[in-house]
Amino acid sequence: MEINVNTGILSANDRIAAENKEQFSGHGLLVINIMGSPGAGKTTVLEKTIDILAGSLKLAVIEGDIYTSKDARRIEKHGVPVKQINTGGACHLDAKMVAKALKDFDLDARQLLIIENVGNLVCPVEFNLGEDLKIAVLSITEGDDKPMKYPLLFRESQAVIINKVDLLDFTDVDMDSLKRDIRKINSNIEIFEVSARTGQGIGEWAAWLGQKVNEKKG
Amino acid sequence: MHEMALMAGVFEIISRYTADFPEKRVTKVTLVVGEMTNAVPEALEAAFEVYANSTNVEGAELVIKEIPLLARCTECGREGRIEKHMFVCPACSSLSMEIKSGRELYVDSLEVD
Repeated sequence: MEINVNTGILSANDRIAAENKEQFSGHGLLVINIMGSPGAGKTTVLEKTIDILAGSLKLAVIEGDIYTSKDARRIEKHGVPVKQINTGGACHLDAKMVAKALKDFDLDARQLLIIENVGNLVCPVEFNLGEDLKIAVLSITEGDDKPMKYPLLFRESQAVIINKVDLLDFTDVDMDSLKRDIRKINSNIEIFEVSARTGQGIGEWAAWLGQKVNEKKG
Repeated sequence: MHEMALMAGVFEIISRYTADFPEKRVTKVTLVVGEMTNAVPEALEAAFEVYANSTNVEGAELVIKEIPLLARCTECGREGRIEKHMFVCPACSSLSMEIKSGRELYVDSLEVD
């Protein structure tokens, strides 16, 4: 006997993600999901972004990591409420983990929730968390072939932060060709060239993000 | 290796659809997987074996129907296969390409006996 199923493999996750999204919208909260390789500089970009935005916006952070809470401790020092999720081996956050972590925040008092996903270019992309924006962080030291090798992240993201541009002269990366490749995958994507270490370009990225928070508040 | 997590989803769906006939065995599971998903068929097959072990799905055939990545140019309307994930229209060079297929990831059907 054949049973017609026609049901999405991620439908259980998508259902919880939709509930999360509804909750975020009810609070007028903008939520971003930051994804990229281990070592791309996601946490450092986040720290610099917090330093710029924390004066004018009320932030909260969820840190995804397989085992440690090192990143959450770094964020804590910036005076922002932060919740660590340890996935215990899983290579990505899912909507249920985020739903559970949300209970620790007073969302009414927050305007921007930043979720830093587990460092990985592949797995997190398929798991919606209920976020408004997916943000890719790519560091030039990873090489300029990464967008073509991991296109789904760049196709699904609304912005990409190209980090470590202060090291450009020490690499073989051709920035124009890297940006062209990214735009061939996703012509609508915003591209920010930054160095989280020197602070270069972080202002433009933070201003764009602040604008998105204001649009969400309505 | 998020294919294990994906397969957990597949088996949740299987148990929901077979709950009414617990005495039957699942003999075939058909999945539909688009080219532009981050699910690798070989890894799905390995995860399937792990989850099926010692259940009413053990020994079932796993069929994975792969769907090509197709997109349509919103400028000139040309529709075709996207090669190497480069969303560039071969007719007019526009970068404005809408995905028509290739993002599918679902359980299509089951066979029980």
